[in-house]
Amino acid sequence: MGSRAALLLRATPPLFSFRRSAYPKGHVHSKRFYAQKSSLDPPDVSRLAETARISLTPQEVDEFEPKIRQVVDWFAQLQAVDLDSVEPAIRAGTEGDDNLRDDVPEAFDNRDAIVAAVPTYEDHYIKVPKVLNKE
Amino acid sequence: MPSTAGSRLLENYRPPFDATAVRKLRESGAIVVGRPIWMSLVTANPWDLSRVPGGSSGGSAAAVSARQCMVALGSDTGGSVRQPASFCGVVGLKPTYGRVSRYGLVAYASSLDVIGCFGSSVADAGILLNSISGHDKFDATSSKREVPDYQSQFVAIDYLESKPLKGLRVGVIRETLENGVDSEVISSVRDAVSHLEELGCTVTEVSLPSFSLGLPAYYILALSESSSNLSRYDGVRYGKQVPGDELNSLYGDSRAQGFGSEVKMRILMGTYALSAGYYDAYYKRAQQVRTIIRSSFKEALDKNDILISPAAPSVAYKIGEKKNDPLAMYAGDIMTVNVNLAGLPALVLPCGFVEGGSGSLPVGFQMIGAAFDEANSKLFLGCFIAFSKCYVESQMHYFQIVFYVDLIAHAFIQLLDAPSIHAACFLI
Repeated sequence: MGSRAALLLRATPPLFSFRRSAYPKGHVHSKRFYAQKSSLDPPDVSRLAETARISLTPQEVDEFEPKIRQVVDWFAQLQAVDLDSVEPAIRAGTEGDDNLRDDVPEAFDNRDAIVAAVPTYEDHYIKVPKVLNKE
Repeated sequence: MPSTAGSRLLENYRPPFDATAVRKLRESGAIVVGRPIWMSLVTANPWDLSRVPGGSSGGSAAAVSARQCMVALGSDTGGSVRQPASFCGVVGLKPTYGRVSRYGLVAYASSLDVIGCFGSSVADAGILLNSISGHDKFDATSSKREVPDYQSQFVAIDYLESKPLKGLRVGVIRETLENGVDSEVISSVRDAVSHLEELGCTVTEVSLPSFSLGLPAYYILALSESSSNLSRYDGVRYGKQVPGDELNSLYGDSRAQGFGSEVKMRILMGTYALSAGYYDAYYKRAQQVRTIIRSSFKEALDKNDILISPAAPSVAYKIGEKKNDPLAMYAGDIMTVNVNLAGLPALVLPCGFVEGGSGSLPVGFQMIGAAFDEANSKLFLGCFIAFSKCYVESQMHYFQIVFYVDLIAHAFIQLLDAPSIHAACFLI
């Protein structure tokens, strides 16, 4: 245990997959274990799943990790392209941007259907469980 | 009408409003017969039931191909109308971005999504396009440009002279007929190009050196945008909810059970690409590549009326074949994604067959036009080709029943891995 803790303190990438270590799974999920952030850390699937609010099973984490890493490595080929002085294009830009309608409120005519779709509706509230504050 | 997009997450969901495209169709008298969905191991290609119809609007393509309906709508973000059109041997049309309102479309990647048309003839696809096009105040990206009467462009074959396409400049994209594309697809497309020359076109070869950059750029943009668009599916306001003790578990479990594996992976990859510190390295660079691709197409379309490529590097592959290899699956989109990045219109037509498996499999070729140029050269050209080179009719007796309907969805629903699709089927 002590030698693993020493690895955490060093500013080098870990030599083993942290997920398979003896640390409890939820332990350092919100902390980075490198002291300095390299610009392209490999994807931490468990942490991404938490950010994206998707509960993954450990099997899914193991299954997804190599596939996601493979795709992300493939994305990295764009790093090698010379893109200095190229403007980013937000969208295809086939039309101009002055396309906003007047800011005039209109009541939606089918409110009942929206309300009917809510799984846990208790007049006039949408009921959800409590929100837990993280540490 | 229930609208599930083929997802457990939207089980039993009934939308409270019609999409603008659907509303316009109903107003012009269309009869909506259903909403085909595409489910990976259930929906089959009518030409060979062991093969995929293509994705993600495969359900719509299969429905038109099996003559279940005359025309259908689909959504095309990276080729999801054009690739299934090619695999199923039907006409697939992707309009210019902004030509058709996206209001009511189940959003995948908002800077790339368009609603497209399937038909068994170009004329039908054109009629459908005419009905759904136009500005919509509920879609700020929809164009205010007038919608030309596409139908007036169609000319019956008997009235055409022997070289009706004289003067039309066609550019064949060199990078699309090289390594990585099936040789039989290449020869089918080259046959179509020779046919165009016989009809009077001037054919030249065009090189787009940035072509291959489009695929990673597209996937970065699409996965990033979809990770954001799919965050609305949280089980709280609609759809399937998995109860939890606290809010994060409700979100996490509802989404975990509602999304299939491929969708989950895509959301995670998109989340990664948009994370603080990575945005510049991935998303911003992908947007810069989009600028490069847009200008290279514009340059090529200044010198040519139409650009040509195959619609896909292969014919329909076997169901389950690409399941475990995401990059192999993404590679199949190489022909179509650049068109979405540039926002251009494109038409896919069947141009031949390849022998494979239990019978012949259709090959489609793609014609790309300049923005909002659907009327000008493409439909006219396409119409002629469709009439004179249409092998599709002769193969109709091979069709068998296509399984795609929502009726079967509940039984097979755990096999989902389509991202998000929105399709409707119409008889006009």
